[in-house]
Amino acid sequence: MSELENIPVVAQGGAAPAKAGEEKSGGLFSRVFDELTAFCRSRSMFMLHYCTGCGAIELPPAMTSRFDMERLGIQPMVTPRQADILLITGYVSIKTLKRVILTYEQMGSPKYVIGICSCTVNGGMYWQSYATAKKLNEYMPVDLYIAGCMPRPEAVITGMRELMENIRGGKADNWRDYYRRYDWYLGNQQKLFGERWQTPTDVIGEARHYGLLGDQTLGEHTALLERHRVPLPPMEMRLGLKQEGQG
Amino acid sequence: MNWTGLLVELTLMPLVAFVVGLGLVLMMRRIAARIQRRVGPPLLQPLYDVVKLYSKETQISHGLMHDIGIVMAVGGYIAAETMLPVPGMNGIADKAGLLTLAYVTMIPSLGLALGVGQCANPNGSIGIARALTAMLAYDIPLVLVIFGVAWHFGSNNLVDIAAAQQQAGIAGWGAVQMPLLALAGLFALHAMLGKQPFEIYVAPAEIATGPMVEMGGKYLGGLFVMQCFQLYTAGVLYVTMFLGGGENWASFLLKVFAVVAIPVSLAYVFPRYRTEDLLRLVWKWPVLLGLAGIWLAMR
Repeated sequence: MSELENIPVVAQGGAAPAKAGEEKSGGLFSRVFDELTAFCRSRSMFMLHYCTGCGAIELPPAMTSRFDMERLGIQPMVTPRQADILLITGYVSIKTLKRVILTYEQMGSPKYVIGICSCTVNGGMYWQSYATAKKLNEYMPVDLYIAGCMPRPEAVITGMRELMENIRGGKADNWRDYYRRYDWYLGNQQKLFGERWQTPTDVIGEARHYGLLGDQTLGEHTALLERHRVPLPPMEMRLGLKQEGQG
Repeated sequence: MNWTGLLVELTLMPLVAFVVGLGLVLMMRRIAARIQRRVGPPLLQPLYDVVKLYSKETQISHGLMHDIGIVMAVGGYIAAETMLPVPGMNGIADKAGLLTLAYVTMIPSLGLALGVGQCANPNGSIGIARALTAMLAYDIPLVLVIFGVAWHFGSNNLVDIAAAQQQAGIAGWGAVQMPLLALAGLFALHAMLGKQPFEIYVAPAEIATGPMVEMGGKYLGGLFVMQCFQLYTAGVLYVTMFLGGGENWASFLLKVFAVVAIPVSLAYVFPRYRTEDLLRLVWKWPVLLGLAGIWLAMR
């Protein structure tokens, strides 16, 4: 897995988005630099669409010639490593949610989650389903919900513009919340998946490395995780097809 | 040549290449948008992307080779830029010939192969295997074209080649003198850029962008910078060999943008070949054209 110790930590003192009322640190140069990075982040968003439900059908028109998201700097990417936005378009079943969390944890920060459709807000028409996760923001920090069943491409683009405004103003920093309150998120995940739930990404290690450790990062649920954690076996690498019975 | 002047040129040439490359990337994305009847990205979009990728706060490294691979990929192209003469700046172009350039432009692919190898992602390995296969495909017509051009001008020095064409005027341009080789060169250039009919190693829908699959943050940023250099290198190499090089910046940039626009415009109306089809196609037609062109040039 990733060797966290080898990555130099870039001191981005002022880059921490200033909350309303919070004093901005650093001199003029670092303030200009932070403004520039915030602007570029808002104008260049690579999105990974995790198309789980019917909301996915509204994305092609939003991306292609009719509404053309690329003029706002939004373009689709195909792997979580490259993406900034995780779009979840529709209901998340419990099995799907595991994949969504794996995907989310593999993305590089700053990362943003957008929940599209009513199903991600409160379960929508699957409210009574035993197999569906109801509120997405119990399992990962959601930056923006676009409600509707399904929202039109105009609504999707309006939502994107709002996210752009938030990033520009430094308000979209929910990804820090996942590190700072990991225990709470992990607890909700364990409630759903059982206490043996683990992901390949070492979230606590990352939080420690990047200085994002909060007072709620560690708790009873992370202790449970430590107890049940089994190191992932390295994948066997071999060439050629070796099928059973044929040797 | 004095050392200070050389040092300034060696610094300026990659910087100019990067800025022009950003323009080329923008042109590529705008052409794609126009073909798909979209508006396309704003003027500074390629710059926003690069700045954003470098300002990511968590970086996922897979080890030392992963880091070095990206450095090799970008560094190979930075070395190549100092060997491509531009108007007013020759850098080390008159000391390094076409052959050195052909070698140096292979370094990025090899660096990428090393870096991707450590990511241990199967999509990445498939992608890099395909990229090296594609390199095997387009290098044969490319070497034929380089040989033909060097034979025709009696030199493998890009500065001499550009000067000879500028002296003789348009009638002395490589493209007029050796039309078959120019055509084969354009074909090889298209394959070298890895654009759509030959896009076997990126293939987003099939192997999730192949070599780029595990790249995020500054790693992907490095690859975006590499793409700028790649478009620039291909365009300038072609312009210097066949279109008289650069007399002044205006005509030089016009030629470079025009040359890159040809494969890019063709790219977005085509789907993708399979690997073996690519090899069959590239080893057949541009190689035949190139051999015929060499025969004409040597006659």
